[in-house]
Amino acid sequence: MPVITLSKNRFSTFIGRSITVEEMAKWLPWAGFDIEDVEPDYVKVEFNPNRIDFSSTAGVARAFSGLREWKTGLAKYEVEKGKVVLNVDSSVSEVRPYVLAAIIRNMRWDDESVRELMEMQEDLHWGVGRDRRKVSIGVHNMDVVQPPFSYVTSAPNAVRFVPLDKVEEMSLQEILKKHEKGIGYSHLVDWAPKYPLIIDSQKRVLSFPPIINGELTKVDSQTQNLFIEITGTDYNAIARSLNVLVTALSDMGGTVESVRVNYSDRTVVSPDLLPQRMKLRIDYANELLGLKLSESKVIQSLRKSRLDAKKISKGVLQVSIPAYRIDIMHEIDLVEEVAVGYGYFRLKPTKPATITTGKQHGASEKANHVRQIMIGLGFIEAMNFILTNEVAHFEKMRQKVSREMVKLANPVSTENSIARVELLPSLMKNLADNKHESYPQQLFEVSDVIRISEKTETASERRLHMAGVCSHPVANFTEIKSIVEALLADLNVKRWKVKAARNPSFLEGRVATIHVKDRKVGILGEVHPEVITNFELENPVSAFEIDLEEV
Amino acid sequence: MVELREHEQTTLLTLQKLKGKAPVNQIVKASGLAHAAVMRASLSLTMKKLTRVHEQKQTVITLNEEGRYHAKKGLPERRLIRGLLKLKGKASVDEAVKEASLEKKFLTIALGWLNRKGWATIEKKKQVLKAPKEPQIGVDEKLLSLLDQKGLLIIEKLNKQLQDAVSVLKRRKLVKMDEKTLRELELTEAGWKLVKQGIEIVKEVSQLTPELIRTRNWRKVKLRRFDVTAPGPAVYPAKIHPVQQIIQRIREIFLEMGFTEIRGPIVETAFWNFDALFQPQDHPAREMQDTFYLANPKEGKLPKRNIVDAVAKTHENGWKTGSRGWEYQWSRDEAKRLVLRTHTTSVTIRHLAKHKEPPVKVFSVDRVYRNEKVDYKRLAEFHQIEGIIMDKKVTLRDLMGTLKEFYLKLGLKKVQFWPSYFPYTEPSAQSTVYVPKLKTWMELCGMGIFRPEVVEPFGIKHPVLAWGGGLERLIMLKLGVDDMRFLYKNDLGWIRRSPICQ
Repeated sequence: MPVITLSKNRFSTFIGRSITVEEMAKWLPWAGFDIEDVEPDYVKVEFNPNRIDFSSTAGVARAFSGLREWKTGLAKYEVEKGKVVLNVDSSVSEVRPYVLAAIIRNMRWDDESVRELMEMQEDLHWGVGRDRRKVSIGVHNMDVVQPPFSYVTSAPNAVRFVPLDKVEEMSLQEILKKHEKGIGYSHLVDWAPKYPLIIDSQKRVLSFPPIINGELTKVDSQTQNLFIEITGTDYNAIARSLNVLVTALSDMGGTVESVRVNYSDRTVVSPDLLPQRMKLRIDYANELLGLKLSESKVIQSLRKSRLDAKKISKGVLQVSIPAYRIDIMHEIDLVEEVAVGYGYFRLKPTKPATITTGKQHGASEKANHVRQIMIGLGFIEAMNFILTNEVAHFEKMRQKVSREMVKLANPVSTENSIARVELLPSLMKNLADNKHESYPQQLFEVSDVIRISEKTETASERRLHMAGVCSHPVANFTEIKSIVEALLADLNVKRWKVKAARNPSFLEGRVATIHVKDRKVGILGEVHPEVITNFELENPVSAFEIDLEEV
Repeated sequence: MVELREHEQTTLLTLQKLKGKAPVNQIVKASGLAHAAVMRASLSLTMKKLTRVHEQKQTVITLNEEGRYHAKKGLPERRLIRGLLKLKGKASVDEAVKEASLEKKFLTIALGWLNRKGWATIEKKKQVLKAPKEPQIGVDEKLLSLLDQKGLLIIEKLNKQLQDAVSVLKRRKLVKMDEKTLRELELTEAGWKLVKQGIEIVKEVSQLTPELIRTRNWRKVKLRRFDVTAPGPAVYPAKIHPVQQIIQRIREIFLEMGFTEIRGPIVETAFWNFDALFQPQDHPAREMQDTFYLANPKEGKLPKRNIVDAVAKTHENGWKTGSRGWEYQWSRDEAKRLVLRTHTTSVTIRHLAKHKEPPVKVFSVDRVYRNEKVDYKRLAEFHQIEGIIMDKKVTLRDLMGTLKEFYLKLGLKKVQFWPSYFPYTEPSAQSTVYVPKLKTWMELCGMGIFRPEVVEPFGIKHPVLAWGGGLERLIMLKLGVDDMRFLYKNDLGWIRRSPICQ
């Protein structure tokens, strides 16, 4: 989850009163924050990824002031009509079709605010922009360039500029090949014949979206006027991200000015900070929350969540949603706003009236019977992972790896590359891990394996298996045979028989398969000495495994 | 009459033969019992006041290598004076040494002691030695030869003279000393009385046998009394794995609360794992680094067309749900991809899709997967607890109340609910519980009401309350384990020694 550090002093400025870190830490969780750390001069919090507007201190302060009833209702944002134009060349539709822009004038800020702006940009890139694919943002010092601006495309080697924090000019191609950001994000453009660029009237490069800005328009705490461009593959996503950014900068003291964005077929005045409207039925909210709030109480709660609401018909409110609340997509989201504004701490738990009787799943019932029997036979239960790898699962057991099994496409660790098809290899591993413990050792497991199965929807099926191992100096076939016979008798399995068999994991002449109603359901025998050695064990091991789906 | 065990009887009788008092070693020799048996008997007999133990600190003195050499050859000064006397009592040092065949290294010692003992005079300028006659054998020399004969002596038993000589030999570094405790056993008056009455040794039997029972011979033999306080050899009961024990308890709680257990595929289509839960196809959680995708088999089948279409449209534009949707082009192929389920909620939504009539109360405690690097607090394969209530008119407060009840049954009395976010629930909440053992609040289960975008495509018409959380954190808390990986190490020592009741 994303994190923001709220300095006590900055936070106090935004809420317009002085506050202690204790008070911050007490109230922030009621707005949905997780407290990570409380220090004398700051509070570090995690916020939920849907609330990208919390990526600035301004954004957190808005919600906090509402919750404390210091400032309630919709925060209003004015956009001054500007004259600056951004022309969009139609060629961008081939690579990165959408752009919007805004101007922020008269910023008076410090290094801290600049750093926060950068972090906000990163949070937007990640949370909404899907790591810059959908949305990427460029913030520029407007005073060093000359509008009108253009969003164009350029051949990979036609333009050179100095990328941010560098001193030498590079071509677009060089940036993709050599620059650290270029290498990291090249996949977003390198497939296109021409790459996107934002330039000014003198053809100076502001940015190479979504890769990197130019050094020319670098922003620092001395910068007064900002030009913000935002490009991407999803028009709504860039419009919303721009709103989150612009409203935060407005709260930081800047004046928002619009930009005329000229597409070949239309002109957009950007940004659009008009509140969104949505209906909320009071009954709907009350029924889901288990409350009986009056219309005015619902309105008051919504205002504490920094929304506005007015009645439009009996039991129905028209809710105004500020431009930065890009997470609200359904009436249900307003219900939660009512709950947060009302205060989760005021929601008293109640017991539902629903009467039902419970029942355990058949597989659990069967597994529990097996547990009871095996404990009675003196076996300790082991629990192992379904995930394993081919060496542990097949090679050490002297089995061929050629069998069909579930294979993972992208495991982080090579330890986990397949799903087990049997339980016995895990039990052998358990014996190997417990050599220092006293013998005899008798272990069992009752759990799932996963088999490939053409018939099912998921092309595989989980099957409940059970397996057991006995290890001590005189472990042998007879012993495990007695165990299996006792087990099958207690499971009330009828008409089973045992046939001599061959299996590379077991000693020849001391291994048999178990059959129920002529279906092979399992195996038992003395484990092959080579297998024992593969697991670096010394005591003989007798073992069995049964597919419980078949008995 | 005092009860006596076989070894005790033998010890008493041996002691009688040894005239009522003897060191332990001697009793061992005379009785044929093991040393340990005599020691045990002497302790128990003393407790019964039949014997007394005398403990004596003893210093054992023995010759060292040089001591043994001198014991054989005579002290250097003795050898030198004998050489001198052969030369008629007057000779140069060199001549005397030669005559005595004295090793060079002992010369200074010999001259020093000749002088100290006053056996000879030495004229310094000419280095001439003079001695009138053979001196008497000294006490030190007596001790030396005594030690040579006996091998060892006990200082405390020597006469005063010899004891003084000990310190001389000690200073000359010819002897070794060792401290020892000598135990002597002596019959008390009661002991004497007992042995005089006569003790008949009865064979003792430790194991009662079928034979003894059948023949009634157990009456004739003496069944050895056991030290009932001695620890028994360790045995370990077979038992259910500690993690499974807790799973069972949690399942019981759900069953007690009227929930029915559900179970579903571990290998799941992205459709049921993500799409059905309104997670957009470009959501970061669906990316390769968080989710295990399958290389084999790669694809599964999608459910009926009308369901898939409703889900697809809900993603794209909200369908009939009133939502704006995620505003993108939904892909069937993406939904067909197979994954290891990242939560058990896939099983829940499958179940609800088939059971739309209220009420539904279901739960699962089952395996889920995250493609993460494993460390002490993270596993790639772990268990999720999940509970679901679907019914007419159930509320967020009902969900909180259900959780409260659930925690109470786990022994967690204090619980708080906070606003939170989960992609498929709204409103959502997080719960923290107070853990008295750790004196701290801990996050356990997340919860919420399924979003309309989740339930409506499946025709579910009533609120679905859902909560869930990781099992392993709870278990670590309960069992005091601080590395999550340890839970599945199947360490036999841990399992064998983990109490069932805790």
